[in-house]
Amino acid sequence: MQRFLDPNVLAGISSLDLLAKTVVDGFVAGLHRSPDFGFSQEFAEYRAYTPGDDLRHVDWNLFARTERCYLKRYRGETNSQLTVLLDASNSMQYTSGPPMKMDYARYIAASLFYLAIHNQRDAAGLIVFDDEVREYIRPSTRQGQLARLFAGLERAEPHARTNFAKPLLHFQNFLQRRGIAIIISDFYEDPETIVHAIEPLRYHGNEVVLFHILDPQEIRPVMKGSAVLVDLETDQRIEVVPEYAKTTYRAKVDAHIEELRTRTQGAGMDYQLLTTNQPLDSALREYLTLRKAGN
Amino acid sequence: MGFLAPWFLGGLAALGVPVFVHLLRKHISIPRPVSSLMFFERGTQSSTRHRRLRYFILFALRSALVLLIVLAFANPFVRRAAADSNGRTLLIVLDNSFSMRAGTRFADAKQQAFAQLAAKPSSQKAQIMALGGQLEVMTQPISDDAQLRAALESIQPGDGHANFGELGRAIRTMSDTVHGPIDLHLFSDMQRSAMPANFADMVMPGNVTLLLHPVVDGAAPPNWTVESVDAPAELSDPKDPKRSRVQAVVAGFGTPAASKTVSLVVNGRAIASKKVDVPANGRATVDFAPLDIDYGFNRCAVRIDGGDAFPADDASDFVVRRSDPERILFVHAAGDPRSALYFDAALQAADQASFVLQSVAAEQATDLDPSKYAFVVLSDTVVLPSIFEHALEQNVAKGGSVLIALGTDAAHHAQIPLWGGSAKDAHDYARSGGPATVGQVDFNYPALQQENPGRDNGGWAEVKVFYAMVVDAAQARVVARLTDGTPLLLEKQMGEGHLLLLASGLENLTNDLPLHPVFVAFVDRAARYLSGSERLSGSRMVDSFVALRAAADPAGSVANVEVMDPDGHRPLSLAEARTVESFRLQRAGYYQIRFADGRDAVIGVNPDRRESDLAPMPPDVQQLWSGSSGGGATQTTDAAHVEGKTRPVSFWWYVMLFALIVALAETALASRYMGTQREEA
Repeated sequence: MQRFLDPNVLAGISSLDLLAKTVVDGFVAGLHRSPDFGFSQEFAEYRAYTPGDDLRHVDWNLFARTERCYLKRYRGETNSQLTVLLDASNSMQYTSGPPMKMDYARYIAASLFYLAIHNQRDAAGLIVFDDEVREYIRPSTRQGQLARLFAGLERAEPHARTNFAKPLLHFQNFLQRRGIAIIISDFYEDPETIVHAIEPLRYHGNEVVLFHILDPQEIRPVMKGSAVLVDLETDQRIEVVPEYAKTTYRAKVDAHIEELRTRTQGAGMDYQLLTTNQPLDSALREYLTLRKAGN
Repeated sequence: MGFLAPWFLGGLAALGVPVFVHLLRKHISIPRPVSSLMFFERGTQSSTRHRRLRYFILFALRSALVLLIVLAFANPFVRRAAADSNGRTLLIVLDNSFSMRAGTRFADAKQQAFAQLAAKPSSQKAQIMALGGQLEVMTQPISDDAQLRAALESIQPGDGHANFGELGRAIRTMSDTVHGPIDLHLFSDMQRSAMPANFADMVMPGNVTLLLHPVVDGAAPPNWTVESVDAPAELSDPKDPKRSRVQAVVAGFGTPAASKTVSLVVNGRAIASKKVDVPANGRATVDFAPLDIDYGFNRCAVRIDGGDAFPADDASDFVVRRSDPERILFVHAAGDPRSALYFDAALQAADQASFVLQSVAAEQATDLDPSKYAFVVLSDTVVLPSIFEHALEQNVAKGGSVLIALGTDAAHHAQIPLWGGSAKDAHDYARSGGPATVGQVDFNYPALQQENPGRDNGGWAEVKVFYAMVVDAAQARVVARLTDGTPLLLEKQMGEGHLLLLASGLENLTNDLPLHPVFVAFVDRAARYLSGSERLSGSRMVDSFVALRAAADPAGSVANVEVMDPDGHRPLSLAEARTVESFRLQRAGYYQIRFADGRDAVIGVNPDRRESDLAPMPPDVQQLWSGSSGGGATQTTDAAHVEGKTRPVSFWWYVMLFALIVALAETALASRYMGTQREEA
């Protein structure tokens, strides 16, 4: 399974739907082999048919034996709503080697959409944002939703700066029912500001997950000499010495990640740090865990 | 310092390249994008300092590289004060001849030589030679001062006779191979007697500047010496008034008339003493007779008592060997009693030798042992008993000697005994227009030796030869020829022994030699030479040679020779003792020698008495000699004129080597720098 979920392998797949299918199929196949993490649409109960019920759920075998019409109910049948908030700011185009952070985020989002719509029949929606909402695809289970979502992901090119407040406010406006909100970003912002911006989502009963996407070089940068660094979002330039990158920078990044993890978990949200060289299964596993907990 | 090719300094304009690259061209730094500068802090100050330092080192290296390459092409040089600036070689010749033992001459000369050596620039090459009995090269031309000083220090006063003519010849030979200029400093007492007969022999070649350093000022001190001693080397009867006597000549050089006491010392004991009046600058003769000595070798000396300015030459050593008279076997044809008569008469008339002649007919010689005789004479005996002939061959091979005289019988036989060839022909001069005479005589040959042969060819010109055999002269040394070129006297080496062949007879029929006075001298010298007794005792001069064996590789077993010098040391190594043919007597005193044929000898060795004349060369002659050399320098100890000269010494090679090192350092640093830039890109 790892081979199919390896970001380096996925970078060679140009089509998002094929990529998502590859990831999810591989992931699900892996789950069946795992005794600790059983998952299927489990049978829950029979319910007497009432007019208006969907005839597709009638247990015709039982009807043949008893001539009574019953509907078969499953545990996972309750549909959830997945909304992915994708950060498409300039900082997401950083890479020290394939894939780019933005691409990695796309892979995660596509895989989640595929898993949600194709396997779980959940409604899935997408908000692409930077300093404002650039794309909004309302969560739906309609025919062609998956294709729309993939198209939305394709159009999500890094642009401008990040601003969490405006897109989240927008998201709250569109939120009709509770569900799962997954925010994919590199979160180059003060953790308190981030949590303060995201925390209102939690008030509506949403399960909120933060997927923190970082390049390995952003966590442990390697510099052989002093260099001029350019901020991808602000174009600001400063000269940095290797000694700083080896010591102070790493400490600061580690502190940032830890604070973000602590604050988000303190606010009842889940936090997942993903580096672009990690397989995608951890993101999918997180989603399924949340969905199961929500049911 | 200067430059041999200064126009290459124009290449210094290339220094502008690193200046432009490092100082004028703005450094372009390729920025490196990051997601956010949120966690970065500016480190510009430290970074720039490091970079500037690194750039400065790189700039310095590049500039140095260009500078060094340009300098190397410009061929820099430094001027080094040295006499070898023009390849001049300092040649120090220290006279260590016998006369340098007088007073403090040698010490003074050595001190001056050391001073000259100390004044030499360290880089100049110098060579040390010692001028004694022969010119001894102590070092090759080198610049190592320590080695030169050690070589100079090792020179000790000798007993040889210096000869400036030999010095001139050696230097002329050396100049054939060493073409550079040579400064020859001669430290000597400039003895007049060291001058050769021909002044041209002293003249130095054109590239040699002769600088004389005489250690004697003014007139020479008066010096008496035992100039010569006439004493028998062998003595059989001490009471023989004719032979048992020692005659010495006392000479004075620069001396007033004086009465000197002269002693005869035998084996360390003065047995006689006489007073002699020596005239001013003259000679006086003193006789000691009889010479009462014991059997064996007696180490004798004639000594002047009282001493003078040069006591080392006040004695003359010689050795007298007392032995019973030696026998000579005279083998003659049965019908020839005359030859033995003439030969014995000549032998008895001789001054020195003490031999007893035993005359036998050839057919009676069968049972005789030749080794019991000093030598054997075969007088016209071409047919010998085979046993005797074989014994004679063995004896000659071991060192015995034979005198062969060919009479008329030789013409009738194919083989000459021992000689190894037959008589080719016979010249009967009596029947072919008159007797022949002796035309050519080698007066250096021991049996014919004469100091100053007269116009009559040393007496040989009067000899008439009526009949002579023509023999094969191959492998033989012809020492006398008749006027028609026919060899008359020949010598051939046979093993350790000698064969002396007279191509005519001794019977006063084939020639009239026995009637001439020269016959006595010939028989005397030939007897002494053939018996070998001449070399067993007596006296020799320093630097003369003694023949230790007949050939380097004698027939039969190789016999060792042994030489013990006056100090009791053995100067020959074991390897030399088995191979060396002759030995040079370098020291004054008594030498003990054992020859290859097993015979022992003790020889008294004396310095050349010309060394006793301490008078120096006249100043004008010295001036003439030094002026005749290439440089025309006069005698002086001042070497300042040498020190003032300089020569350029190029060191571009070192500059280029340094440039290579700088290039390697620049490559390493630049590679590191470029590596950083690539990483940043």
